Amino acid sequence: MTLRVKCAVRWIAVIASIFVMSLQIAVASPPATELKVPVEYYKLPNGLRVVLSQDHTAPTVCVAVYYRIGFRVEPKDRTGFAHLFEHMMFQGSQNLGKMEFIKLVQQNGGILNGSTRFDFTNYFEILPSNKLETALWAEADRMGGLAVTEDNLKNQQGVVGNEVKVNVINRPYGGFPWLDMPQYANTNWYNAHNFYGDLKDIEAATLTDVQSFFKTYYAPNNAALAIVGDFDPVQTRQMVEKYFGGLKSSQLPATPDLTEPKQEKEKRATKVDALAKRPALAIAYQMPQRNSPEYYAMGLIDQILIEGDDSLEYQELVQKRGMTAAVNGGINYLGNMFNYNGPMLFMADLTHDPATSPDAIIKAWDDPIEGLRTKPVDKEALDRARVKLRSSLYDSMGAVGGFGLADLLASFALFDDNPARINTLVSEFDKVTPALIQKTAQEYLRPEDRTVLALETKSAEAPTAPAKN
Amino acid sequence: MNRELNMKTILGDFVTAAAVFALSAISCFAQEKQTPPVGGPPKPFNVPAHESYALPNGMKVTLVPYGNLPKVTLSLVVRTGNLNEPADMPGLADLVGKLMKEGTTSKSSKQVAEDAARMGGAISITVGPDESAVDTDVLSEFGPRAATLLADVAEHPLFPESELPRLKNDAFRQLTIAKSVPQSMALERFRKILYGDHPYGTVFPTPESINKTSVADIKKYYDGNFGAARAHLYVAGRFNSAEMKKAIASGFGGWTKGPAALINQPKVEPKHILDVTERPGAAQSTLLVGMPVPGPTSPDAIPLAVTNALLGGSFGSRITSNIREQKGYTYSPRSEISRRYHDAYWAESADVTTQFTGPSLKEIFGEIERLSKEAPTDAELKGIQSYLSGLFVIQNSSRSALINQLRYVDFQGLGEEYLKTYVQKVNAVTPTDVQKQTAEYIRPDQMTIVVIGDKSKISEQLAPFTPGAKP
Repeated sequence: MTLRVKCAVRWIAVIASIFVMSLQIAVASPPATELKVPVEYYKLPNGLRVVLSQDHTAPTVCVAVYYRIGFRVEPKDRTGFAHLFEHMMFQGSQNLGKMEFIKLVQQNGGILNGSTRFDFTNYFEILPSNKLETALWAEADRMGGLAVTEDNLKNQQGVVGNEVKVNVINRPYGGFPWLDMPQYANTNWYNAHNFYGDLKDIEAATLTDVQSFFKTYYAPNNAALAIVGDFDPVQTRQMVEKYFGGLKSSQLPATPDLTEPKQEKEKRATKVDALAKRPALAIAYQMPQRNSPEYYAMGLIDQILIEGDDSLEYQELVQKRGMTAAVNGGINYLGNMFNYNGPMLFMADLTHDPATSPDAIIKAWDDPIEGLRTKPVDKEALDRARVKLRSSLYDSMGAVGGFGLADLLASFALFDDNPARINTLVSEFDKVTPALIQKTAQEYLRPEDRTVLALETKSAEAPTAPAKN
Repeated sequence: MNRELNMKTILGDFVTAAAVFALSAISCFAQEKQTPPVGGPPKPFNVPAHESYALPNGMKVTLVPYGNLPKVTLSLVVRTGNLNEPADMPGLADLVGKLMKEGTTSKSSKQVAEDAARMGGAISITVGPDESAVDTDVLSEFGPRAATLLADVAEHPLFPESELPRLKNDAFRQLTIAKSVPQSMALERFRKILYGDHPYGTVFPTPESINKTSVADIKKYYDGNFGAARAHLYVAGRFNSAEMKKAIASGFGGWTKGPAALINQPKVEPKHILDVTERPGAAQSTLLVGMPVPGPTSPDAIPLAVTNALLGGSFGSRITSNIREQKGYTYSPRSEISRRYHDAYWAESADVTTQFTGPSLKEIFGEIERLSKEAPTDAELKGIQSYLSGLFVIQNSSRSALINQLRYVDFQGLGEEYLKTYVQKVNAVTPTDVQKQTAEYIRPDQMTIVVIGDKSKISEQLAPFTPGAKP
């Protein structure tokens, strides 16, 4: 990355009037550092989208392959299949047997992982930069073909079954609200089914399902390759061509209709969690269309409402009313506001005491929202939200070993065909006005647009006066 | 590309052969398979240069210019934590941390939060057994201002009486929730068995201790444990060094020295116990199995770390390959060397399918015994050494990771040499060393076995693991 840092820090005196203060901050703040991420973007003739971003800070490189197939679009009788399939991508390819991919990366000093999200499945390695070619070869090898067996599948059905148990079935608040809420808030099956999968569906998957899913979606014209870190761009282009250039593109199926119908009425639901000892509550709203002006406004509303201790809901629910210790929340619980493509929820959740009713919490929650809906946000608050957003965007980019940046670049390549938009995001948020914040809150944060999910404990005997415990 | 063809060939082979032969059928292709390219020659790596100094009051400062992103992380680490709590007040240190966030003598908590937010950050206070940290992470242009804010929060907490009842109520709720999480339940049992009445043996506060904590207790703890002599400020990222030093000097220069750090090391012996906590209907058994091992300053610390990575501490490790990738008993098994001040234990943790609780333990102990009897091959060990060498680079390649590394070295008193010689020492470990480390320190016959699960379904499976039971 190249960037210019102009470090001239001046301390400004505290000024009594809020109006004057915000004006002063705007004028007297140190000049903001500018960040320009280098982005090289091109496509191979077979359709593979390639993004290169050099950063020579450390002798490491991140190779990330993103396939445009997430858990939204999986066979209807095979819930959880996209995720089970992700596991199969580690089970053997044309030239690497079971455990060999994992060991190849590890023995070359690297770490690796894969994950399944709403609109993509990703695979990545972070390695010492001299091992870039090894990683490219290995990723191309598994893009070229799987070689998995019944035994591998059976084994991974066991592993995934245990994953669902450890993350959902056997833990209090398992799946709450990240897995639960989409099932209540959405109506289109693609957005509303159990993404982790029913255990019986996971167990029913066959090797034919695996091969057919691979053949349908795991092709270069349905993928983006992001390389971030310490590499030589000319050599890297040659290696990409050498290993990925010969892979054949495929005829991709039409994307099903993923749209969510406009919600007309508030939805309320209850989930009983036999393992939980304290109730919890989640509230979700449908997001505006991705990349619309309102979408950027919601990014800032998220900052104003629920991100950080200065946020309005933290101040209201935690600090002022003592209803909870923390308000979690954000846009896209399985990522961030940038790395998804379809319909999305803006959501918050908290745990509370049995003595506090969900209605009381919702009433308190609505106070700051009503404020945003009825009057323009003051400039100081909006400026603060912009700074927080920029800071958090840089954190997303800075995640371990270049992976954070690779994630954004690959997402923007897949969904927008434009990874360079990473350098214009800040300016999009800068365009948001107090009037747009108000309009967005009026349109998207209406009670009619939301879903409230209350998690109830099974037994009422849970002690409410712990002092006597 | 011949994906179709290749697929058919392989599919054909194992569809017609019995499952048992499928794997060998595939391995017949081994000669025809491509070998992965080895890549280029390794590039040299040095831990990013840092500057360390002390203020006249004894507070230590370490500055690490790092990276391209316009951000800077500040972490004020104070050598105090649950170790310093009176025996009847577990959790006091945590409440001190929480009340410290409730404003300073000159700023309300809301002002502090908004000040931090205006810099792109938030104040976070974390409390551990040995150390407490006051952290923030801000846009570069605000770095020096963040140091000033951090100093105010750390040195001039208001400790308002008005906020304590709310924080105590939150602490009750969080305690109740934490104690229902099986992995936390297992940790609580394991630490209690291993450390007994030493503060390391207590993972959670008690409702009684939370209830009786007063602002006076909190102030007394703060006065007795916070101060420049116990503090070390780490700054990593992009920042103007001169401005940062100036802000640090004026923010922290006046902080009272305070008392020296308390040294209170536990005397730990292995406790060979099977400890089962009932969790009716549990779909999995939560296992935590381990024993004390030599601490971070021991010459065996690095050979042990290498041994752990090979045995259970990495994706490709033996235990993980076995109980996850061969047997499918579990999703995220891992072994680790867990460390406190000059103290460590080795432990394997795994959440395993209830019906395979006994078989999982059998495989875990089987892998340990195999390694204790037979040295790994050179190739297997070399792979783990390369992994740890690469991981070391990654662990020194972000602001927070760098701070964590430096903080660990300083806390354990390992000296500057540690980071300079780590990779070399990792690569000096021999296959025989790994076998010996296992045989000497990772001993199934001395381990504490903690299980959280459904007793009605696992008692029989666990019977062979009761100390003294005949296998």
